[in-house]
Amino acid sequence: MTAQAVEQRELAVVIGLEVHVQLETATKIFCGCSTRAAEDEEPNSRTCPVCLGLPGALPVLNEGAVEAAVKIGKALSADIPEQTTFHRKNYYYPDLPKNFQLTQYDAPICANGSIEISVEGTRREIGITRAHLEEDPGSLQHKGGSIDTADYTLINYNRAGTPLVEIVTEPDFRSPAETRAFLAKLEEVLEYLGVFDPTRDGSLRVDANISLVDADAIDADGGISADALESANRTEVKNISSHKGAEKALAYEVTRQRNAIQRGRAVEQETRHWDESRGITVSMRSKEEEKDYRYFREADIPPLAVSDWKERIPIPELPDARRDRFQTEYGLDAESASKLTSTKEVADFFEDVAESFDPDLAATWVADNLLGELNYRDMAITDVADRLDEFTRLIELVDAEEVTTKNAEEIVLRSMLDDGDDPDTIIDREGLGKADDDEIVGFVEAAIDENPDAVEDYHDGEDGALNFLVGQVMQKSRGSADPGTANQVLREQLDG
Amino acid sequence: MSTNAFITEETIEPDGDGPLSELTVAVKDNISTAGVTTTCGSAMLEDYVPPYDATVVSKIKAAGGTIVGKTNMDEFGMGGTTETSAFGPTENPAAPGHVPGGSSGGSAAAVAAGEADVAIGSDTGGSVRNPAAFCGVVGIKPTYGLVSRYGLVAYANSLEQIGPLANTVEDAARLLDVISGPDGNDGTTNDGGADSAYAAAADGEIDTLTVGVITDLLEGADDRVVDVFDDRIDALEAAGATIEEVSLDSLEHAVQAYYVIAMSEASSNLARFDGVRYGTSGGSDGNWNESFAAAREAGFGPEVKRRILLGTYALSAGYHDKYYKKAQDARAWVKQDFDEAFESVDVLASPTMPVLPPALGESLSDPLQLYLMDANTVPVNLANLPAISVPAGTADDRPVGLQLIGPKFGEETIIRAASAIER
Ligand SMILES: [Zn+2]
Repeated sequence: MTAQAVEQRELAVVIGLEVHVQLETATKIFCGCSTRAAEDEEPNSRTCPVCLGLPGALPVLNEGAVEAAVKIGKALSADIPEQTTFHRKNYYYPDLPKNFQLTQYDAPICANGSIEISVEGTRREIGITRAHLEEDPGSLQHKGGSIDTADYTLINYNRAGTPLVEIVTEPDFRSPAETRAFLAKLEEVLEYLGVFDPTRDGSLRVDANISLVDADAIDADGGISADALESANRTEVKNISSHKGAEKALAYEVTRQRNAIQRGRAVEQETRHWDESRGITVSMRSKEEEKDYRYFREADIPPLAVSDWKERIPIPELPDARRDRFQTEYGLDAESASKLTSTKEVADFFEDVAESFDPDLAATWVADNLLGELNYRDMAITDVADRLDEFTRLIELVDAEEVTTKNAEEIVLRSMLDDGDDPDTIIDREGLGKADDDEIVGFVEAAIDENPDAVEDYHDGEDGALNFLVGQVMQKSRGSADPGTANQVLREQLDG
Repeated sequence: MSTNAFITEETIEPDGDGPLSELTVAVKDNISTAGVTTTCGSAMLEDYVPPYDATVVSKIKAAGGTIVGKTNMDEFGMGGTTETSAFGPTENPAAPGHVPGGSSGGSAAAVAAGEADVAIGSDTGGSVRNPAAFCGVVGIKPTYGLVSRYGLVAYANSLEQIGPLANTVEDAARLLDVISGPDGNDGTTNDGGADSAYAAAADGEIDTLTVGVITDLLEGADDRVVDVFDDRIDALEAAGATIEEVSLDSLEHAVQAYYVIAMSEASSNLARFDGVRYGTSGGSDGNWNESFAAAREAGFGPEVKRRILLGTYALSAGYHDKYYKKAQDARAWVKQDFDEAFESVDVLASPTMPVLPPALGESLSDPLQLYLMDANTVPVNLANLPAISVPAGTADDRPVGLQLIGPKFGEETIIRAASAIER
């Protein structure tokens, strides 16, 4: 192939992901230690003989972790096997208490699933090869350098034994943007299932395999032949910790590989490390020997029959289904429905509010006002979930025209979030109770007295004069007057 | 020389009263005792003090037993003579100048020498029955899952069980009553032995039993051993038992299958001993991998290294199917052979060991010969079955043991039959 021809090759991107998710169970996967890091906890304080891998200690499977994995399997429309077993993955590494990791091999808890994503209006189905359970290793702190150059390394086993699910996709992604959409969707589903806490440090870790192939190796449905996949050199990108990071890391890697190919250089088959702060991937300069993990069955964990767990374990309505239902049941538009289902907590909050009010009013208040103000304050719906009563009281007051919409939005709601007061207290304190007609007449008379020029302009038929006077009335009432009433009373007084 | 039955002699007081009150108990040094060194007979764990008690230790203490020390053993259970111990060999009190068998040689010797009333050992491929036979005491290898392994430092975890040793069948059975039963800390235990009363089963009533003699296990045995064995079988028949001959074709593959599986599991079980938390640190020269290698080079003895290397090899890509998988197939075949045999007999019988106890220092140089010594005991571990070794007599002033094998959770049956042999 000439250099000219190389430059003209059209290339397509092929990406597959391995996503490690920490499951939010109360205890670790093989012992009774808590999975929750206490604030300022001592290193190695959240451990026992089992998760320390002490001689003679035995793993006992936490069925809660298996349940969580079955929920994920149901959400991914995956197959759940008749029984599930564990294997040992043997390799030496200083963060592994036993120098082997308990994981699953030939009987993963989930297989053959899929997730549908949508990027710029195009829907694509991403195949899930498998999802399996395993134990998280401990964590290392290298003092004074990397693992090879550090003066010394400290080992903390508090994380050891935290349940992980590793979700492995087919090489179905055709762009970095698709991986981002997938990960966002996956996180959303996992949160809905209540098996995942995105605020935990390191709760989501992504490895990506990426290669560039001739564009004509991709068929109309985005499929790729095994041969084309096999013949392309790929890199494995490690250390990705968010969906935004995935898109950035893989976009960088696409550019790097494309440049290499177009300059006539081969892409090295290697593992690369995503350096988030520098925004580049770096070769891990590991000699690429094929690792041999010497997998074999863990006899200490008897096979667990799970064939009926799929029926037995319920899962909540998932975001896609809930979005559709919000549109049909509440008559919401797609955008509101999407906002209101962004997390399970938001959707639950909305449905609680919509029970007592017109869905449009409830949607406006939850999707626009509340989420907007929360977002502005870096707060989440979970921060106010226990103040549902106060929030519905505010909407009730607006609905009953006890307070104007404008005041409710701009003063009451903000003060509720900033000061933690309830709406009635704020309205009393700020004197925001809706002005009655007598009060409005007083404000109107004052406005007419104080603005003789505007009154004259009004009588001369100038368009803006009445609006100006309404504005004056509103100002005097500190917004508590109804603008329609103010308008009407003004005209009565001016024309009368 | 002294018997050297113990690595650590230290009294652990009981914390309850029960069937073991007034009894002293010796505990094999691969069973965790909180606050008391647990070395596994290895320099690697010379200073290792577990922070927790094995389930069996808790049960012994609660049942009134006084633990008198931790007994000598082949390093990590890898051996049949107690000579691979980093703490020197143990002498056989019943045959001075000879090995006590192994790997629970210290436990058997302690009982035979009267240094403990009863003892516990662990049996991965015969490690309770072999020293029981060589020292002329009783040893039981329970059904896999009857006794909790929590706290037993693993050699080959799919094969091994903790089991009792004692001077009489009834005492061994009494200890089994105490240590057996489901344990939340060992997921492989179950209530298969529920409602059993092992000590009460030692009633010597054998007239309704059918005993199958495994002819395959007589063929390679020393004639002096076979003579003692035959005498006992004749006595059983005279006492009313029905005797049948049974042949199990799978047994000729049992030793190979056993060693492939045991070594494979050992290569993984012993991986954690890397110098970071156990043994002598490998130092900080070079990378961590080199440091791990240095710690393991220094901490493990030659037999342990040999088994780790062979096990690693058997599990490696390209060899896994040829060795590990094939061994698993053979294991399934052995299980099936036993299942079929128990359709027509109540217990199976063989000599426990095909040889008499070798002299101290005689056998270590030929590992293959040592492995073949396990021919009669390893099939039981492959099949997860219960077995007992009971003294059958002596030849050339050395004890000979008779092995009785039962169906899964058939401990009461083998205890009953063994008590008849004992009388
Ligand atoms: Zn733990």
